[in-house]
Order: sequence, then structure tokens, then C-alpha cells
Amino acid sequence: MSAGLLARIGLYAAIAAPLLRIAASDRPFLVQVAIGTAISAILALAWDILSRTGQVSLGHAAFFGIGGYGSALLTPVLGPVLGWTVGILLCGVVALLLGAVTLRLRRLYFTIATLSFSLSIHVVILVTPGLTGGSTGIMPPVIAGGSPPLQLLFITGCLVVAAVVSDVFLGGRFRPAFFMIRNNPDLAAASGVPVTRLKILAFVVSGMVAGLAGACYCGLYGYVIPDDVFTTNWNVLPLAVTILGGMDTTLGPVVGAVVLRLLEEVARHLVGGVGYQVVYGAVIILFIVGMPEGLVGFVRRLIRSRRRQAAEPGQASAKARLAL
Amino acid sequence: MTALSIEQCTVAFGGLRAIDDVTLALPAQAITALIGPNGSGKSTFVNMVSGQIPPRSGRISLGGEAITGLRPDLIVQRGLARTYQVPKVPKELTIEEVISVPLLYAGSGRALPGGARNAGDLARYCGLRPAVTTRCGQLSVSDLRRLEIARALACRPSVLLLDEAMAGLSLEDTEQVIGLVREIHASGVTIVVIEHVMRIIARLCGHAVVLNQGRLLAEGPPQEVLRDAGVREAYLGKGFSL
Repeated sequence: MSAGLLARIGLYAAIAAPLLRIAASDRPFLVQVAIGTAISAILALAWDILSRTGQVSLGHAAFFGIGGYGSALLTPVLGPVLGWTVGILLCGVVALLLGAVTLRLRRLYFTIATLSFSLSIHVVILVTPGLTGGSTGIMPPVIAGGSPPLQLLFITGCLVVAAVVSDVFLGGRFRPAFFMIRNNPDLAAASGVPVTRLKILAFVVSGMVAGLAGACYCGLYGYVIPDDVFTTNWNVLPLAVTILGGMDTTLGPVVGAVVLRLLEEVARHLVGGVGYQVVYGAVIILFIVGMPEGLVGFVRRLIRSRRRQAAEPGQASAKARLAL
Repeated sequence: MTALSIEQCTVAFGGLRAIDDVTLALPAQAITALIGPNGSGKSTFVNMVSGQIPPRSGRISLGGEAITGLRPDLIVQRGLARTYQVPKVPKELTIEEVISVPLLYAGSGRALPGGARNAGDLARYCGLRPAVTTRCGQLSVSDLRRLEIARALACRPSVLLLDEAMAGLSLEDTEQVIGLVREIHASGVTIVVIEHVMRIIARLCGHAVVLNQGRLLAEGPPQEVLRDAGVREAYLGKGFSL
């Protein structure tokens, strides 16, 4: 077994362990917070996989919702395993069709297209009450018989799956090609990379992982309305989480989800009312301005500069003092 | 034998014909110079042949096979690689990762030059001194140029287009890159060099093609082409000599 694989297994264990510890504890509030955090982390991982090809999505609520609605509506017909599988595959098909049209768009135009797509899916749900329950919503089958600790166990498993998928796309086959597509698509094509095909692949995988997050979310309480899933909140959340935690990594979105939730709870506790959202928003902005590479990137750079300091003491410590 | 043939190709941007009805046959196993004053269409020519800007009309074939209108990555698969004058590589990628992209994706099946088997071999072959784990953000201009050549070689090309690979390099670096180009050529790759410096062309190339305002102005051995009155006029105006 290679050192890299061992390190990755260690990472998955480090992600899962605290969640499992919480599931085993007898603290209902903490369990709910952990469930919410894990779902944010899955959605953020989905968003990050796509962003590595330079595509900034503001429409992941669409996949979150389609995955949730799809699995919820198909489970009674096909059973839970097949229902979830087809629901998530549906996200992949939608991403494929949408991607075939929008991924040829450049940067901002793509972002706007994803945003409008998520808004129009919301409308589609509202105008098809016969099929999707319309504005009154649906009653999805609950995960794990509605037991929160067991739900957390299951969702932790889903998070590890999302982390493995994310790592596959950080491997040698995809990472350099994705970064080259993001940075300089002409150079990528001149290196033999089928640019559009890889962008669509990233979009399909990203859509399916976001659908997994949505399926987990919709299976929590047994009742979902369109406003729960097809909202701007789920469009913006993965972006905020990933930028806060650190892009282009598997750990970043997970750390970001934890820290964002922590910030939210602390702000809610200290400020209270609705006003906490303002404080919460301001703190996020401060973080993003102060650490553009995210928490994971910041810590990595710190470790690198420490190492350099150890290698060449005089020069680096002077630089470090300047930086501080 | 013709490695690359261009028949009546035109590339137009609005009313401007950047390449205007050019017909050319580049001999296989040669080093051909593509020269011409600024704005003569050299870069557009490279973009056209590599598929980045397909011609509005005309035919391009590589080793006898038509490649007109193919996607750039498919043209690379057929064996035509190019370098960029100002290579913009992702700063966060290492030398090894950049070279690994064509090694993974551009499988044309030919052998790598110099008996190279992996990214590290190619980096050394191209004279890249920094460790292969060095990030591109830390490389000098001359190392980025070498990396760009290594990246293009990793496409396993039969025809290699070098877009001003020596511009802005020190004399010493230029000499080394000239040596490298000769070595690549000796390994059986047909090379097209886009260059401004006439001394380099005269030393390196057995064949020269001159473009002016998108048209083919002259073609032949470099010494003869440089003596051509029309070529002198295009570069310097009437009454001067090179």
C-alpha cells in the first residue's frame, strides 16, 4: 500500500471519526448540527470538483433539489437503493444536457446560466403539482427510520464517498488536466486534452454528488417543500464553504463546512435574533479577504514557510516577521 | 515527402485576411523557418495549423491525412504539436504535472525523443535543471520555455511548431535551445521554427518560408530567400539591405 493511499485513508478516518463520535453521544442538538454540516460538506465537495475546471456554478441548488426530489419520488416506486441511484443518475443526465449547452460559455456567462437554470427548475416544480407536489411539497421516505444518530451514521458514509470521488479528481489523471483547462484551455487542448468532454465530465460528477447531498437532506424529516431545496441559500452555500475552507482540496470543503457552521452558531448565540446573520456575513467576508486561499491553503503555506525557516533560519525568519 | 501541406488556406477576421490564400508544402524531416515582419500572419498560421483557428477555406493535411477543421486536441493526437510564445502554465502545477498532461492524453503512439520514458526524462532532455517537483510559478522565463518544449515533445509529435522558442533568451540559453532543436530534429521530428533572428535561421534551417500580410512571399533555402528583393522590401522598405 502506498504512502499516499494510507494518508488518504487517514484523512477519511479523521473526517468520519468526530461525526461517529457525535452519533454515539446522547446529544440531539449536536447530532442535528453534525448532520447539517456533513450535508453542506458533501454539497461543497461537489461544487469544488466542478470549480477545478474553472467553472463557477451558482446553480447547485438545482442538482441538490433534483437529487432530493428524484430520490424521494422514486423510492416508493423502485425501492430505496434503486430509487436513490436513479435519482442521483438523473442529476448526472441533467448536468450532461445542461453542460452540453452551457460549458461552451465562458466564465461569467456559465455562472449566470447555472443560476437561471436553478431558478427555472424551481418554477418547473411549482407548475407541476401532479408530478412533484407543486408548492405544497412532498413527503419523502425518511432515512434510517427517522433516528437522527443513525441518519448521521449514514450521511457520514455519504460524505466519505464524496471525499473519495473528490480525491479521484485530485489524482494524476485529472488534477493537472483540470487545472490546465481552468488556467489556459488552449494550452490544454494543445496538450491533447479533450477540453469540453472533461468539463462535462466534471459537471456530471459534480451534479451527481450534489444530488447525493440533496437526497440526504430530503430524507431527514419526511417532509420537503420546493423552498427548502431550490433556494439561493443552497446556491451560495457551497461557494462560501469552499472558499472559506480552501479550494482544490478534499479537506477544504469539509473544514469550511465545520467552521461556517461554528461561526453561524457562535453569531446566533452572541447576537441573537435575525441580526446574527449580518455579523455572520461580515465575518465570512473578513475570512475571505484575509485568507484568499482558504483555511487549508493558509495552514499549508504556514507549514511550508516553517519548513523553509528550519532549512535557512536567518533569511526566512526575517521574511516571516515582515509577513506578520 | 511532405510532412505538412497547406492548400489555398484563408483565415479572415472580419475584413482582415490574416492568412490569404496560402499554399505550402513543408518537407518532412527538415527544419523549416517561418519568417515575416510583425503582423505578417505567422502566429495565425500556427493557430490555423494547430486547429485553434480553423481556416475559412482551404485544406490542411498532415502526413497525407486531412486535418482541416479538426479539434486542436485531435490534431495533437494525429502528431502535430506546437509551443506557445508566452507559455501560460498553471502556477500551482509542478514541472512533472505539466509534462504528464500530454503524456496521458496525447497518445499518438510514437516514441519520445532521446529514449525518454517519463516526464522526468523529458525535463532533463530539454535541459530543465530545477527538480521535477518544482512549481511552475517559481520557474524562470528560460526554464518556462524549456518546459513548453518538453510539454510539446510529450505530445509525441511527428511535426513540431516552435513559436519563437528563443525570443528573449540569453546568448547562452539560445545556444542551448538551438542544440536541443537540432537534437529533436535528429530524432526524426519535422520542425517549423518561427523566428525573428536571421542568424539563428541561417544556422538552423534548411528551408525558409516568408509570409507578408498573410500571403506567401517567398520560399526556398534561407540564404536565397534572404537575398530576395521582395523579402528585403517587406522587412526594410525600398532601398535598404539586410
